[in-house]
Parts: sequence; structure tokens; C-alpha cells
Amino acid sequence: MPTFYLDDQAIEFEPGEKIIAAAKRAGIDIPHYCYHPALSVVATCRMCLVDIVDMGNGRPAPKLMTSCSTDAAEGMKILSQNEKVVEGRELVMEFLLVNHPLDCPICDQAGECTLQDFSFEYGSGNSEMEYSKRVYGWRDIGTFVTLERNRCIHCTRCDRFTREITGTNEFGVFNRGHQLTVDTFTDQPMTNKFQGNMADICPVGCITEREFRFKKRAWKLKKTNSICNRCSTGCNITVEEDKNKVFRFKPRENQEVNQWWMCDDGRISYRDYGKNKNRFLQPMGRVKGNLVKASWDQIFEALKSRIADLSPNPNEVVALSDNFASNEELFLLKKMLADVFDSDKIFFPLRAWSQHETAYPIDSLITTDKSPNRAGAIALGLLGDEDDAKLKEALSETVKIAFILGNPFNEDNEILELLAKAELIVYIGTENNHWTEKADVLLPGQTHVEKEGTFTNKNSRVQRSNIAVKAPKETKPEWMILTELIQFMGKDADFHTSRAVFEAIGASNDHFKGMTFDSVGDLGSLLTSI
Amino acid sequence: MFSPEGQKKAEHILSRYPIKMNALLPILHLAQRENKGYLTPEWLEHVAEVCEVPATHVEGVATFYTMFKFRPLGKYHLQICTNIACGLCGGEKILEHVEQRLDLHAGHTREDGQFSIEEVECLGACGYGPVMIVNEEYHERLTVEATDKIIDELEKNTKELPEKILPLDRPLTA
Amino acid sequence: MLEETLVLFKNVRQPGYSGDLASYQSSGGYSALKKALKMKPEEIVNTVKESNLRGRGGAGFPTGLKWSFMAKGTGKPSYLVINADEGEPGTFKDREIMLKEPHMFLEGYMIGCYAIGCHHGYIYVRGEFVPAMQRLQEAIDECYQSGLLGDKIAGSDFKLDITLHPGAGAYICGEETALLDSLEGRRGQPRTKPPFPAVAGFNGCPTSVNNVETLMNVPSIINDGAEAFKELGPPNNAGTHLVSLSGHVNNPGVYELKMGVNLKDIIYDIGGGILGGKELKGVIPGGSSTPVLRPDEIDIPYDFDSLAKAKSMMGSSAIIVFNEDTDVVKFLYRIVKFYNHESCGQCTPCREGTNWSRLMLRQFVQQQGTPQQLKRLYRVGGNMMGTTLCPLGDACAMPLRAFLEKYPEEFQAHFAEAS
Ligand SMILES: Cc1cc2nc3c(=O)[nH]c(=O)nc-3n(C[C@H](O)[C@H](O)[C@H](O)COP(=O)(O)O)c2cc1C
Ligand code: SF4
Ligand code: SF4
Ligand code: SF4
Ligand code: FES
Ligand code: FES
Repeated sequence: MPTFYLDDQAIEFEPGEKIIAAAKRAGIDIPHYCYHPALSVVATCRMCLVDIVDMGNGRPAPKLMTSCSTDAAEGMKILSQNEKVVEGRELVMEFLLVNHPLDCPICDQAGECTLQDFSFEYGSGNSEMEYSKRVYGWRDIGTFVTLERNRCIHCTRCDRFTREITGTNEFGVFNRGHQLTVDTFTDQPMTNKFQGNMADICPVGCITEREFRFKKRAWKLKKTNSICNRCSTGCNITVEEDKNKVFRFKPRENQEVNQWWMCDDGRISYRDYGKNKNRFLQPMGRVKGNLVKASWDQIFEALKSRIADLSPNPNEVVALSDNFASNEELFLLKKMLADVFDSDKIFFPLRAWSQHETAYPIDSLITTDKSPNRAGAIALGLLGDEDDAKLKEALSETVKIAFILGNPFNEDNEILELLAKAELIVYIGTENNHWTEKADVLLPGQTHVEKEGTFTNKNSRVQRSNIAVKAPKETKPEWMILTELIQFMGKDADFHTSRAVFEAIGASNDHFKGMTFDSVGDLGSLLTSI
Repeated sequence: MFSPEGQKKAEHILSRYPIKMNALLPILHLAQRENKGYLTPEWLEHVAEVCEVPATHVEGVATFYTMFKFRPLGKYHLQICTNIACGLCGGEKILEHVEQRLDLHAGHTREDGQFSIEEVECLGACGYGPVMIVNEEYHERLTVEATDKIIDELEKNTKELPEKILPLDRPLTA
Repeated sequence: MLEETLVLFKNVRQPGYSGDLASYQSSGGYSALKKALKMKPEEIVNTVKESNLRGRGGAGFPTGLKWSFMAKGTGKPSYLVINADEGEPGTFKDREIMLKEPHMFLEGYMIGCYAIGCHHGYIYVRGEFVPAMQRLQEAIDECYQSGLLGDKIAGSDFKLDITLHPGAGAYICGEETALLDSLEGRRGQPRTKPPFPAVAGFNGCPTSVNNVETLMNVPSIINDGAEAFKELGPPNNAGTHLVSLSGHVNNPGVYELKMGVNLKDIIYDIGGGILGGKELKGVIPGGSSTPVLRPDEIDIPYDFDSLAKAKSMMGSSAIIVFNEDTDVVKFLYRIVKFYNHESCGQCTPCREGTNWSRLMLRQFVQQQGTPQQLKRLYRVGGNMMGTTLCPLGDACAMPLRAFLEKYPEEFQAHFAEAS
């Protein structure tokens, strides 16, 4: 590969690659504002100036060049730290701050603001500008984001986002020169389904998430890599939390899945992990018609003896999972049914679905398939079909025991009524719902952000979600509940971590052959065979 | 929204460009004239349809150029150059005089809707300064007296002003 | 006594010359077009290259060379776009051409289109030039009527249409990439280069942008040959050019002069000396963006290279003369205010720097300057230099620096009483 030299470090590049991009791949961040790898190059902020002392032909560039717009060339020698460059950057910073309110103490971007960062590094801290600053009004422009234009540094990333990424064109750059401003068409609200991303790409606190406004200082948040579970795309995210409270989801770059983006629905799903009055936090069993709290041991004992009493035939036991179960959970549920009851009647809502496609790749994030692990369920051999014919057939025979994971099939009364006839209903979930009335045993599981697991997205990519917050004391992750249940019933299940469960899947299922948490990594990997 | 005649002109303009967006500036000029000299959000949206571009794009373009207005102008739009060459020859004096005489500040329109004054940048006639454009007509080498004479005629409505016709409005002879 | 050399304005200076098609043709007009249409396009490009014709829009780039850069074999149409956005304060020659001798320009334009294979030409005229546009459109109509434009121009197999495109009030659209964006129907903001217009210009097609006057030189180059053209000026500064003379001179106007004549002679012989017999204070030699010259610096040849040597520029050949009564501070304020008003605003140093400089200068105008501020003005204004996306930032910084360097006493005279 051809090579150039940045401050004496040799950097390889693809022909046609810009200096800033090649440097980034080599781990060097050249300060920048207007450049974004997803957007067209405008080279207007002038922050990324570098000194090209040899353009690769022995001659220096006539002036400082913007590294975001200059193609790397074989043998190029570039300085990014010499006096000339630092001076140039200081100058750009000074100009950017001339009209900036510097209201960091009340700005939601503070802590993750590149203007704040660079002004610390390159700015003198106090502006010599002694005239009143430019003032625009605060504007509420969407369901999701707000616009505080006094902080705008006119990088036009937002404008390019609605032009080039969503194609919705709600945003524009208006006026010119010193009056330049960004806004929506004659003050109409934004409509695209990806507005949160504009808050992400705005390098300053001009566009911010309304959800997050004034809620928390960004630098206090602890971030954990995870994935969104609101649809089968499985956008990579970070779960951002402080003192065990989730404040927001942010997209995490994964070029194979969501690039830099996520949809607003997924982004606000963080709300589901706040305080939940409906949550049940202890195992419970039905005694003379009433639910009574119990310890895990008590409840497993009781369950064991009840099952022995019922001594069901294999076809009298079913298990139903909702959309949100991980590969590990489905694997163990299936294993329990097979090992303990010799049954294979495990069902998953496999619905017809379609993919939203337009000329804009970001739209392909949105699918009608709201099941984050549909492909996993299929790979693991769960049963199901579009109109639940198989399930209904199974339920038309006598069902003595039903295991319910989450809240499955809750939209179909016929199924629910058939199920209610079972003599023993074991509900594994997190919150009280209609199952609370129907179940004989309630086992408290954990939420998506409290446990770890893998999910297989619509493109058969296996991805990991991790533990971001501590779960309530008496609850257990579903994989653990199922493992212990199998053990209690006298069968083999020697798993101490979800990692071990996944390895067992890798060892026994051809689709997952040889896969481990490590091989899946932070960015996921495709099923071995589809 | 274009009148039938305006529609015809618009179609002629569009026919001169490889893609419709290219015609945006002349079409905006046309729309502005159809709407008595200024643009409204409705017109911006209409132009967006005609040129097959997003309305935000049209607003972005229209607000970039000084000749597009978003408020009604007076019947007579006096644009006076005070840039350096005219300035050396007294352009500012002419502006001040006109402001005083019409009791109107530059950048404003008189309440009776007769006059608007605008202080403008170089009009490309620097050797013949001071220069003023009345609607579309250039007036050069102005003195206070000459300016007064022009305004006299405007006030009495005796001055004949050429109709503003942009080249693309005309049917092509070929 | 310096006099005009008439090539471009040879007809214009004839009493009673109307500039319509008949009058232009009766003085030999469109003979060069007919000659050119019999030549190979490459031959024309080479002839123009040999003639050393340099662009008259401001940058002085060799025209033939620019044409030879046009990407070939792309399968896309090629364009030759005319820059008639004339807006640099002090410059008013293109308007003069369009009003008085539109056909000589059009003839040159048609030859240029033939040379680079352009079948639809666009002339971007600044929006305020309504009378000039009307005059030019009449000339274009005449050409269509007499078969000089259309499907088979002047009896050849070459098809050519020309469309006048009105600007709408933005000086920055004179910068060639901003002009192309504007012509495409966008905000007139300069583009980052590469790609250069010769590769991806109008609608992404190979494009050359040229000034009105540049093209007007082409008919005589075709008729009289490259050598004759070169002989009209010093080496590397060939031909005559139209000089816009304004400000405090007795005879302002547009004059056709050989390159390399003495600048002082232009002011005193052609311009008839300083208005009202006053003392000369300074000369801006090439439009408002070019560094000012003090009276002792003007005894130099007036061409691209000599002015560069004098650390200024010939720009668009626009000479602005000012006399001893001129308040230099106010003068500079007005220049900076202009660039501030015309900044497209996309890049940081120009958007913020032109405005900040204007505010500081306004304080000086109001007799409220301070020594500290003078230093800051030089730093802030000067620092725009070389960091902006397009040359408009430089165009503001250059005169600013030059005025501060050459007239420091004038700025000190505007300090507030206390300091
Ligand atoms: C800010 C700015 C304004 C300009 N304005 C004009 C102009 O009004 N007319 C013009 O012909 N060239 C202008 N130019 C120069 C053009 O960019 C370009 O160099 C020219 O049109 C090329 O034509 P030429 O090679 O025939 O000179 C301007 C350049 C800049 C940077
Ligand atoms: S709002 Fe943010 S993204 Fe948009 S131009 Fe301003 S600083 Fe850039
Ligand atoms: S597209 Fe799907 S996975 Fe991505 S954020 Fe939205 S709901 Fe979540
Ligand atoms: S230098 Fe000024 S005019 Fe040129 S691109 Fe930058 S902001 Fe626009
Ligand atoms: S990042 Fe290169 S100019 Fe903005
Ligand atoms: S300065 Fe007034 S027309 Fe040029």
C-alpha cells in the first residue's frame, strides 16, 4: 500500500483516501469540526489545517491545507504539530469562539464538546472580542431535538445529514456571511425518524436531545457497549448510566450494522429501564389461590414436586418465549424441555416481516420485524409460523405444564385462553401483567440492560449485549434461572456464566459452530452457516 | 401559483437547462415579479415544486442573494452605491440627501408604499459614480440636483420607468 | 503622451457605432468565427495557448492552458461558462463591453465553445445588470435570427446555444466555483478543490469558466495570429486590456491599453490627472482587494508581473485613485465592510474575521481606536490570509494589511483622546 508520513510516522492509505481518514485509521485524530466520514466534504471549518512540506513530488504546498479535503499521496510529508499549524488552529479557535456564548456550565454538550476540548488545547481561554455576540433565539424544532443556535459553529453537518443521510431535507443553511444560520423550512418542525443522530453529529451543544436536556452532565455517565433490542437490526449502542440509572442510549459505530446511527424509537427505549412500579422482585408461588413470596430454593423445590405429581407426557409440556429472549435463553429453554420433559414444543413468534428500503441506506435500519433475535430463534430450531398454526395445534391437545418466558403471544386471546387451561404455568419475566393472574409460579428475571447475552440480527449477525446496570438483589438473569431449574430437575447443566452457555451453543449447533463471546467481540460476527 | 403567462415563461426558462434545479435563480426572479416584488413561504414552496428541489433548498438559496426580498418593497426602489469609487465621488452624500428628502432610512420602505431606499455595494459602474439604480434603471454621475430631479419626477409619477424584463422572460426568436 | 491602443474597442471608439449585428459585421465582425470553424478545435486551443492570453477576470491564468486541462472522453458534455458577475469594486469594464460591443465578445465566446466542444453556453451576468443583460440578449437574438447561433452555426455543422443566466446579488458568485454552484441552482458558495472545474464543473461536467473580456480577445487572436497579439505587451503579459479607471481622476472611464504601460502615465495622461488639482494620496491598482500603492510606488509598468513585483496585483485592471482629502481609515472601513457583506459565510476565518475587523475599524472611524486595537486589527485581519477556503478572505486581508502598513499615521490619528 502507498504510504505518507505524518509527523514522521509512516501511514498507509488507500488511493483516493483523505489525509484525515488515513490518519484516523492509524489512530491519529486530527482536530476537526465539519468533517464527518459519513458526509460529503466541505472543508469549511478550517480546523484540520496541516502543513504539507512535501506533496510527494518534492515540493511543499503553497499554504496550509485542510487534511479533510486533501488526498493522501505517496511519499507526502505532513506536519500537524509545528508552530505554523498550531498557530493556524489557534486562530480558527479564536474565530470560532468570537461569537460563541461559552455557556458550558448550562450546556448539555459540555464534557463531550469538541469545541470545549480544542479551546482548552488551542484557545487562549479568553476572547479579545469586545463586541456583543451574535444572538439567535432558542428553537424547538422537532419531537426529538432542540436548537440553541447561539452555540452553532456553522459546520453544516446537520444540513448535510438531512440532505445526504435521511434525504428528508428538513434542515437547511440560510442567509449568508456573518448572518449564516441553520434552521428548518420556514420554521416547520423536523419529521425524520433519526433526529437523535443530529444531536450526536453536531459537534457542539447547538442540537441536543430534548430528552437529555438539563438532566445530567455528560462526563458523569458510565458507558457500556450493548445493542438495541427494539428491532431485528440490532443497532450497536452504548448504554449510558449513572448511579444505576440509565440516562440515554447512544449509537456506537459499526459499519456492518448501523454505521454511526440509530433510530429515535430505539433511542428512547432507554425509558423502559427507569423505575418500574410493576416489577416483581421475588419468586412467588400460588398457595390456595394466592401468590406467596418464596426463596429461590423453596420455589424450585415446590416446582419439582408439583411436576412430579403431574408426571406429564412429553407432548403435555410446552414453552413459549416472547421476541426479546437471547440465544442463550432460548437454547436453555429448549434444553430444559428436551432434557427434563423430552418435549420439543417450544414456540417463538416468527412473524412475517418486511424491510424498509429507499435510496438512503439509513432507512434500512428500520424494519417491521421487532424481534431482535428472530434469526437466532430459527437457527436454534424453535417452532413458530406466521399465523401460529403450529402453536394452536399443540395447544389443542392437553397441556399440563406451560413455561412462559417474557410476555409472548399476548395479542392473541385464543392462545391465551387455551394456555390458561394448563395445570401448571411457570412465568419467567420481570413485570406483573396478565400472566401474574394466570401463573402458578413467578420467577423474577432481569431486563435487557441488567444481563448479558447474544442476539442474532436480521442479517444473521450475532451480537453481544452487556451488563450496564446492577439488577435488583433477588432477581436472576434468565439463563441462570433456566440453568438452575435444569439442575434441580436432576439433569446436567454446568454453566456458571452466559459466556459458557454460548460456548455450549457453539459446540452443539452448526449455525453457531465454534463461536464464543470473544469471537463475537464488540462488533459481532455472522453465523457460521445460515 | 404562476399566472398562465408566468407558467409559459417558467417553462421556457426550464427548457434552457439540463436539469430543473439549474433554473432556480431565474425562476425565483420570475416568482418575485409575479408576486409584486417579494417572496413568501408559499411561493418558495411553489418554486420548489417547479424546480423539483426541497423547499428548504429554495429557502437556503433565496436567502443567500440580496436581490430576493421577503417583504414588499416600495413602488420605487432606490439603490444607492456607497462603495469606495462612488464613495470618493460623494455617494454617501447622495444617500444622506435622499434619506433626508424622503424622510426615510436606508433599508426601509415608506409607509405609503411609494419608496424604498437601499444602500448597496458596488454596482459595476464605478467610473461613473455616484450611481443609483431606480428599479432597474442606472443613473450615473449623480449630483444632489440631478437626484432631486429624478425624485421630483418619481413623486409626480411623470417618470417613465422601463419595465423590468429579464432576458429569459422573452420568447426565443430561434 | 500615453494613448489608447485600440483592438477590442476599435469599433466602440468610432463615432456613431451602434454595436448591433449589422454594424459589427460591416466592420469585419464574425470573420474570425468563420475562419475558426474551418480549423480543428485543438488548433484553436493551441493558438490561444501560444498567444499567451491571460484571464482578465482577476487571476491572470493562461486561457489556452485552462482550456487544455478540460477532461476529455468523459462521455459528458463540456461547458464554457462566462463570468459576467463583475462586482469587484472599481471594476466596470465587462458591463461596458456588454452595453457597447456585445458581438465581439459573443464571437470570441462562440469560437471558445467550438474549441472546447461546448454546445450550450451560459453567461452568468450579475443580477443588477438588467440593462446590460437586455442589450446582450438582443445581440444573442440577432445571432439566432441570422443563423450565427442554433443548430448549424454560421453554416457549419456545429450546434451552439447560448443562455443568459441572471445572478441575484452576491459578489462571491464571481469566484468561479461559487458561480458554478449558483448556476446549478444552489447557494453561491465556493467549492473545495479538487476536483477542479475542468474535471467536474457545471453539473459535474468538465467546465471552463472565463471572463467576458478574456473571450473578447479571441477574435483578433484568430484573425491576426498569436504573434501579433504577443507583440502588444511585454513577455508573458500579452495583448491589450480594458482598464477601469475611477476615483479622483479628471477622466474616469474604461480605456484600452497595452499591457506594461506606465501606471503613472495612465493616471496622468489617460486619466487627466488628479481631480481638482489635488495631491495624490494613493492608488489601488487592481480592484479593491489589491494592496494599495503610495504615490512613490506607482512609477511601474502596468501588467501582471510588474505589479506582483511591487507586492500588489493587477487583478481585474481596475485602478482606483484617491487624493489627499481622503480619510484612509474610512476608506478601508468601507472596503472591509464590503467583504464582510459579501462573505458567503461557510468558512470560519472569513465569516468571523471580516466581521470582527469591520467592528474594530468602525471604532476607528468613530475616533475610538486604541494602539492595542490597532495591533489586534493587524493580527485578526492579517490572520485570515491563507487560511480560508476561497480567496475572498485574502481579498479582505490584503488591503487591510497594506493600508495599516502604508498609512500607520492615519490610523493613529483616529485614536481616542484618552490614549
Ligand atoms: C472573490 C472573487 C471574486 C471574483 N469575481 C470575479 C468577477 O466578478 N468576474 C470575473 O471575471 N472573475 C472573478 N473572479 C475570478 C474568477 O474566479 C475566475 O478566476 C475567472 O472568472 C476566470 O476567468 P479568466 O481566466 O478568464 O480570468 C473572482 C474571484 C474571486 C476569488
Ligand atoms: S447546528 Fe451543530 S451541526 Fe449544525 S451547523 Fe451548527 S454546529 Fe454544526
Ligand atoms: S433501527 Fe432497530 S435496532 Fe436500531 S435503534 Fe432503531 S429499533 Fe433499535
Ligand atoms: S473565504 Fe469567505 S467567501 Fe470564501 S468560502 Fe470562505 S467564507 Fe466563503
Ligand atoms: S474538518 Fe477540514 S475544514 Fe473542517
Ligand atoms: S463603487 Fe459604486 S458602482 Fe462601483
